[in-house]
Amino acid sequence: MNKDSPDNLPETPNREPAITPLGTPHEPPIRAREGNIIHTSPELAVGEGDVRSAELGEVVEGTSLWRDAWRRLLKNRLALFGMVVVILITIGALIGPFIIKQLTGITPDFIPSDAALIKAFPPFTAPDGSFSWKHPMGTDNQGRDLLARVLQGGQISLMVGIIATLMSLIIGVSYGAVAGYLGGRIDNLLMRLVDVLYSLPYIIIVIVLLSMFKKETAQGQLILLFIALGSISWLTMARIVRGQVLSLKNQEFVLAARATGVSTPRIIFRHIVPNTLGPVIVYATLTIPTVMLSEAFLSFLGFGVQPPLASWGSLAAVGSQNIAIYPWQLLFPGLTMGLTLFSLNFLGDGLRDALDPQIQR
Amino acid sequence: MLRFIIKRLLITIPTILIVISITWGLVRLAPGNFYTGEKKLPPAIEKNIREKYGLDKSWQEQYRRTIWGIVRHLDFGTSLTYPGQSVNAIIARSLPISATIGLLAYLFALLIGISMGTIAALKPNSRWDYASMGIAMLGISIPNFVLGPILVLIFSLTLYWLPPSRWEGFASKNIILPVITLAAIYTAYIARLTRAGLLEVLRSDYIRTARAKGLSESQVVFRHALRGGLMPVVSYTGPALAFLLTGTVVVERIFILPGLGNYFINASLNRDEPLIIGIVAFVAIVLLLMNLLVDIAYAYLDPRIRY
Repeated sequence: MNKDSPDNLPETPNREPAITPLGTPHEPPIRAREGNIIHTSPELAVGEGDVRSAELGEVVEGTSLWRDAWRRLLKNRLALFGMVVVILITIGALIGPFIIKQLTGITPDFIPSDAALIKAFPPFTAPDGSFSWKHPMGTDNQGRDLLARVLQGGQISLMVGIIATLMSLIIGVSYGAVAGYLGGRIDNLLMRLVDVLYSLPYIIIVIVLLSMFKKETAQGQLILLFIALGSISWLTMARIVRGQVLSLKNQEFVLAARATGVSTPRIIFRHIVPNTLGPVIVYATLTIPTVMLSEAFLSFLGFGVQPPLASWGSLAAVGSQNIAIYPWQLLFPGLTMGLTLFSLNFLGDGLRDALDPQIQR
Repeated sequence: MLRFIIKRLLITIPTILIVISITWGLVRLAPGNFYTGEKKLPPAIEKNIREKYGLDKSWQEQYRRTIWGIVRHLDFGTSLTYPGQSVNAIIARSLPISATIGLLAYLFALLIGISMGTIAALKPNSRWDYASMGIAMLGISIPNFVLGPILVLIFSLTLYWLPPSRWEGFASKNIILPVITLAAIYTAYIARLTRAGLLEVLRSDYIRTARAKGLSESQVVFRHALRGGLMPVVSYTGPALAFLLTGTVVVERIFILPGLGNYFINASLNRDEPLIIGIVAFVAIVLLLMNLLVDIAYAYLDPRIRY
């Protein structure tokens, strides 16, 4: 296993990174904006994507790597579908509980005061058995509306997913960039540490952490979850970033920065890291569903989100106990979660194809 | 190669000790005690309990005793949740169950996943390809704690084909649903990896040579292409085993199997320190050894790799 190869991902074979420093997103070369035609002589037209016609140096619509990638992403219908669904579910999760509260006054943890209503109702059923719009997903054993709970679960799961991924991004990118740039002994040591950590049963230790330090309040437990989940997924991110940095650090712009006297931390974080953004974005988009799955799994076992907050995992835990008699209590949270993860995975795959067009499908 | 193995084995021992120490530290750092229940114990009883479990000594002394017991006799102590049973006995009893389910699940995943991936790679962008990859996507997206109850709902409660839960022995029908639930996500990943790997390999020159020589397509695939195309799958085995562990935990909870994962969760919920440390150490050792085996297999399969 060549440790210096650009990526050590199990899925992608070794090859050059697709994003080159030519026209980096950070320092774009001089080029025309859309709809802005500049007539210049051929020698002055610079930048990639510029079209030089034979007679005049007519510069037509310029483009950048990101815009190309975006266009490729839009052409990929599956990824588009994924993106749309994710956006819809995010909007639903963000404003859903609020709208439900405005329309019907039901909050996710509202237990009805009427004793006859404290039982599980199938979807779209009123207490007397007739059709009713009140509970589109039914209720749980204590009469709480399941739709509101599923949407709140979406809020919590998405929030945990995004924040934990951000944390693992910050830790992983810093670690990988420093290890890759400094190289030599430090790199060896840091990556050896990553290797050892990689082969440990992380989740087991996280479970011990969460069960020992179980907080009283639901919010406290959430913060503990962020820390725990963020510290699971930074390892692969560090490896990816290190691989990218290794191939970038011999480029000329780094030499130029060093020659100009830029300090090392500044080189790492202001010059090199922005050029690793492509694979980082792809991997981050693929980490979010992994983290959400971990959070759901921890909540299912009882170590994650505590009641009264609902997460898809804890909803599934309650629902799976009643699967024989009230199957909707598991099906709705479970299938919503499945749909979200499905779309996120498609979006991640689409991003990977868009930002790394060397893969021929 | 031998030096590599010995170096890895040597690193294993301090790693395990560090893992045990961290776990011990976490359990000790946490507020409260294992014997704190709903009522407050009278001071005399509390003093007796603390004396019996050695909690009245300083923490250095307790740490030394724990580590010494482990290093000297591999004795992890007696469980606090299951009084009278030594941790080693509990692990020995529950390990075969977890190992069986895990291994069967992984074999199932390899078989079905590699087949699906190969079919998808041989006919790219066809119905087979989209169908396989669609099923693979579903496998990745639906969590195993959702899939499990749904399978139980369909196959046990509606069709009455399979028993819903409990452990009846190694050769019973009870293992079918847990194994399928556990295997689903790995089948999906392995299918995707096989497809990607095979697609890469099928474009390379030596495959073209094999076809030009006049070999039949199945000979080309099975004798030449699969060897290279399966490399990503082999290197996935390492992380897969780690995730298999966590998957086993959930599956054992759902299907109520007396395996290692179930005991671990109960130990965590009850702050059963010896059992927690025992299971964590055991799992860490198994994982490190398996990763070493995977690396050796990797070197064996790809002659370009030298350690």
